[in-house]
Amino acid sequence: MPSSTTAENIKKAFIVPGQPHLALTDGWPELTQAFKKAGEDARSVCPDVIVIYSAQWLSVLGHLFQSDPNPKGVHVDGNWHAMGDFEFNFKVDTSLAKLAEEKAQAKGLATKSVHYEGFPIDTGTLVALKYFNPDNSIPVVIVSSNVYADKEDSMALGESMGEALRESGKTAVVIFSTALSHRFMTEEIQSTDDRIASEQDDEWNRKMLDLIQLGKNQDAMDLVEDFAQKANPEMMFKGFYWLMGVLGTPNVPGELLAYGPVWGTGNAVVEYSLNN
Amino acid sequence: MSHRDASGEILAGFIAPHPPHLVYGENPPQNKPQSQGGWENLRWAYQHCRDKIKALKPDVILVHSPHWQTVVGHHFLDVPKLKGLSVDPIFPHLFQYDFELDVDTELAEACYEEALEEGLAAKKMVNPNFRVDYGTITSLHMLNPDWDIPVVGISANNSPYYHTHDYAQDQMIKLGQATRRAIEKTGRRAILAASNTLSHLHFDREPAIPEDMSQEHIMSHEQYLWDMRFIELIRQGKLDEMMDILPEFMEKTFAEVKAGSLVWMLSAMNFPKIPAQIHGYGTVIGTGNVVAEWDLDKARREGTLTEEAMVHA
Repeated sequence: MPSSTTAENIKKAFIVPGQPHLALTDGWPELTQAFKKAGEDARSVCPDVIVIYSAQWLSVLGHLFQSDPNPKGVHVDGNWHAMGDFEFNFKVDTSLAKLAEEKAQAKGLATKSVHYEGFPIDTGTLVALKYFNPDNSIPVVIVSSNVYADKEDSMALGESMGEALRESGKTAVVIFSTALSHRFMTEEIQSTDDRIASEQDDEWNRKMLDLIQLGKNQDAMDLVEDFAQKANPEMMFKGFYWLMGVLGTPNVPGELLAYGPVWGTGNAVVEYSLNN
Repeated sequence: MSHRDASGEILAGFIAPHPPHLVYGENPPQNKPQSQGGWENLRWAYQHCRDKIKALKPDVILVHSPHWQTVVGHHFLDVPKLKGLSVDPIFPHLFQYDFELDVDTELAEACYEEALEEGLAAKKMVNPNFRVDYGTITSLHMLNPDWDIPVVGISANNSPYYHTHDYAQDQMIKLGQATRRAIEKTGRRAILAASNTLSHLHFDREPAIPEDMSQEHIMSHEQYLWDMRFIELIRQGKLDEMMDILPEFMEKTFAEVKAGSLVWMLSAMNFPKIPAQIHGYGTVIGTGNVVAEWDLDKARREGTLTEEAMVHA
C-alpha cells in the first residue's frame, strides 16, 4: 500500500507547466483543461497557503524567498510578449516564508528575502496562480530556483519548507512549476502542429512520468540526473528534489492529468493526493 | 537626425558589458539603491565612450542584450517610447532603475524586415507594457546616461544554447548583416553595443558591502588568462584568430559572448581587422569585463578600413 511520510497538513502537491500559452491562449486545450482541474482540486481542500517553486525564477546569490506581502503589477513575458499581459496582485504569507528561510539558513543554505517594488514575478508563478488562485484569496509562498543548487541543497531547501509547514500547522498545497524536456521549436508553429521536440525527449519524459505515476518517487529522483542530461528539462528538473524534500519522498503515486507539448517542450500536469 | 538623406553607416562598435553593479556604483538619479562607488576602472572606461559618442553625434544606438532571451527568433523593441521600473531579478538590491527610452521604430522595423530577408525568424516587440531588461538598460546607461539618443534593442536568440556553435554563430552573422543593411537603407549614423561580459563564471556570494573592492577579483587565474588572450587578439585587430578561439573561450570560461552579441556586432561592422581600443578591463563579482571600441569613423577617415580589412574568412 502506498504510504505518505508527508506532514499531515500538506494536502496536495502538483507538478505543472509554466508556459504562458496555457494561461493566455486557448491553443493547448488538453493541458489547459488539466490545469483548470488541478486548480479546482487544490482549492477543494481549502488550503491556508499555496507554496510554489518556479523553475523560471532563477537566482544565483543563494535561494530567494519572496517577502513582499502584496506583490502587484503587470508582467510581460520576454519571449511571448505578443500573447498579452499578466496583471497580478496577490498576497504572500510572509511569516511562513520567513520561517522557511530561517530553517534553510539553519541547514547552511545561503538565502535572501526579496521585497522590492517592481520586482519581476516570473511567468511560471503567474501561470500557476491563474489556475490555483484565480481570485488571489489564498496567500502564497514563492521560492526561487538557484542556478547553482545541487541535489543536496535543493532537497535541504525543500525539507526546510516541509518543516516550516509542519510547524505552522497551516494546510497547504505545494506546486512545482516546470517544463519536462525544455527544447523549444525555434520557428513559428500552429498549436495543432505542436509536438515534443524529439523522440528522445518524449521517451525520457515518459520514463520520468511512469515512475511518478507508480509512486516510485525515490526512483524518479534517482533518474533526475540522467533525465537532465538526456532531455534537457527546465533547470535540470532540480525542483523535483525540492518537492520531494517538502513531501518527505512519499511512495504516493502522482496522477497524470495531462501530458503534451508546448512549442516543442514537454509538459505535464501531475497531482499528488496526500492527506485528504 | 539630419543625416538621413545620406547612406547610413556604422560609426563605431563597443563591447559594453552590463553588470548592474556599474550603474549601482555610479549612483545615477534613476537608480534607487545607493552605493559608495566601486568598479571605477570599468566606470571610468565608459566615461571615455560617453565623450566619444557625444562627439560622433549618432542618430541611434543599437544594443544586443544577452538578458533579453528569446527562443523563437530575433526580437526588436518596436514601441516608440518605453518606460517603467526595471528591477534586476538577480541583483535587485543593486538595480531598481526608472527607465524611459525612445526607440527608433523605423530602424527597428527595417532591421526586422532585413532579418526576414536573411531567412531568420524575427519578431517585433510591440507590447507597451514590456519591461526592458537590465542588460539593455545598463549598457545604454553606461554609454549615454543622458538618454538623448534613440535606441534599438535586440534580443539574444537562444540558438547558441540549442544548436551547434557554427550554426548559432552563423545566425548571428546573418543578424549582423541584416542590421548593417537596415542602417544603410534608413540612412542612420549608428553606434553598436554588444552587451556582454567576457569570462562569466562568478562567485555566488557577495560581500556584505557589494562595492567593497577589497573583495573584488577574477574568479580564477585561468579566466584571467583567457580574457587577456581574447583582448590581445582584438587589440591587434586579429579577428580571424579571435573567432577561431571563440568556441574554446566559451567552453572554458562560460563566456557570455556565447549569447551572440559580439558576433552580431562584428558581423554588422564587416569584421573590421583594425585594432580595437581597450578603454578598460575589470572584474565584477568574479566575471571578466572589457570596455572596447572599434572606431570605424576614424578608420574611414584615416583610410585603414580597406576592403581586405573587412571580410571575415
